This record gives sequence, C-alpha cells and structure tokens, in this order.
Amino acid sequence: MVISKKVEFSASHICRSPALSDAENQRTYGAAANPMGHGHNYVVEVAIEGEPDPVTGMILDLKRLKDILEEKVLSVYDHRLLNREVEPFDRIVPTVENMAIDIWNRIDPYIEGRARLYSVRVHETAELSVEYRGGK
Amino acid sequence: MTVRLTRRYGFAASHRLHSRALSDEENRRTYGKCNNPHGHGHNYEIEITVRGEVNRVTGRLVELGRLDRIAEEQILRPLRYRNLNEEVPVFRELVPTTENLAAELDRRLRSAWPEVFPEGGPVLEKLRILETERNICEINHA
Repeated sequence: MVISKKVEFSASHICRSPALSDAENQRTYGAAANPMGHGHNYVVEVAIEGEPDPVTGMILDLKRLKDILEEKVLSVYDHRLLNREVEPFDRIVPTVENMAIDIWNRIDPYIEGRARLYSVRVHETAELSVEYRGGK
Repeated sequence: MTVRLTRRYGFAASHRLHSRALSDEENRRTYGKCNNPHGHGHNYEIEITVRGEVNRVTGRLVELGRLDRIAEEQILRPLRYRNLNEEVPVFRELVPTTENLAAELDRRLRSAWPEVFPEGGPVLEKLRILETERNICEINHA
C-alpha cells in the first residue's frame, strides 16, 4: 500500500553549469539559465510504502512525516536562493531532477519502522514534474 | 540516478464518436452525448513521462526544448483547433475515442523519437491523455 503527502515551498534558482558555455547553458536550460535567477512555487509529493499497523491502521503517522518534511526540507528550502543557500546546490545545478534526488536523500534516513520511502515527486510548475524512486 | 520527468501540454480539438460498424441506435447507446452528429470539443491535456539517467554536468534528464519540439511537431501543431474526424486522416476510419487518440499520439511520438533524440535519449515511459478532468486514458510502457 502506498500513501502520499503533499507539501509546498517557494524558492529561487539559477540553472547554469560552470562547465558549459553561455550558448550551451542557454540551449540546455532556456529561460531558466538567466544568471539573475527566478523562482517557483514548488509542490512536493512524498509517497510512503508499507502495510498498515494492525493496531493503529497506519503505515506511518502522517504527523511524523509532516514534521520530517518541515525539519529536513521546508525549513531548508523555503524562501531561499537554492544555488547560494542550500547544499549541494553550491556544487550541482538545482534542476528539478537534482532537487527530487536531494529531497529523497534528506528524508529517507528518517522514514522508519514499517514504512519505506517509495517516491518523491517535485512539481516545479503545473507543466513540469520529476519523480525519483531511489536507487541508482 | 534514474528519474522520471513528466511534462504537460494542452490542445483544443473537436470530435464525434460514431462507428460505421454500429447502427444509429447502437451508436447512441455506446457513446451517449458524444454521438451528437454535429460533434463537440474538449480542452485535451497530455502528459508525457520520460525515464532515464540525470546527466552529471547539466543535472537534466532531457533537454526540455527537444521534448517540447517533439510534442509541438507531432501532436500540438497537427491537432490544435482541428476536427479530429475530418482533419486527421487516421480518424476517418478509426473512432477518435480517448483510447484511440492515446494510441495514435503514442505511435507518433515513438516514430519521431529517433530523429529528435539521435543519441537514444530518455525512454518514453508513459503517455497520459485527459479528455476532461474526469476522463483520463494512459499508455504505460514501464
């Protein structure tokens, strides 16, 4: 069984790689390559997999999941410039792909008991989302 | 790192659901209001999901410009503001249900994929088409 929770945050980013030329950055990221940065209202859907506890009827206390997301993700990402203020985006480009992987890495160690992290989906806009299910 | 990226696009088109193999009464029973002889339209939305590895340098799974190009050339430009039955050849014979439309769009994307992604590119994993918020069809190759 899979249960999911949705949270939101707002942040700004710059999608440019120092390893690429200006023209390559423009081709790769389009308008998102603007060196002055821009922002989004991100929506994160976190899905947890497992069997419900026979006593509580819950896979994981969703309040616990909310607290994990608040402490490990929202308090770090919300209203920040990701490139300057959030690791590892001082070293890698804060694309929505890398953000989904980073959010997974931040919360996975804290999903305990009978619950397993199943997927992290990050919606950057209504038209673009990325899902990461862990692994390589 | 394998990730799945989903991009959403929209186009408006009209259609009529009517099969020549069925009687008028059977058509009305099968398709209901969608059998109206004058046709009707929808704001279709499509979601294309691709799967693959994140490029270590760019942090991207796919160049969005190329995904947008294949969607525009294969789906949006040919279908936007069209009467599907009259103006899209495959639907002269085939009933343009959401199911048949999904299969046709999937076929178009697949046939154009090697030209837009000559180096292979990401895997086209899923195509989802929303005829309305309540009527959704998907083809999942996962």
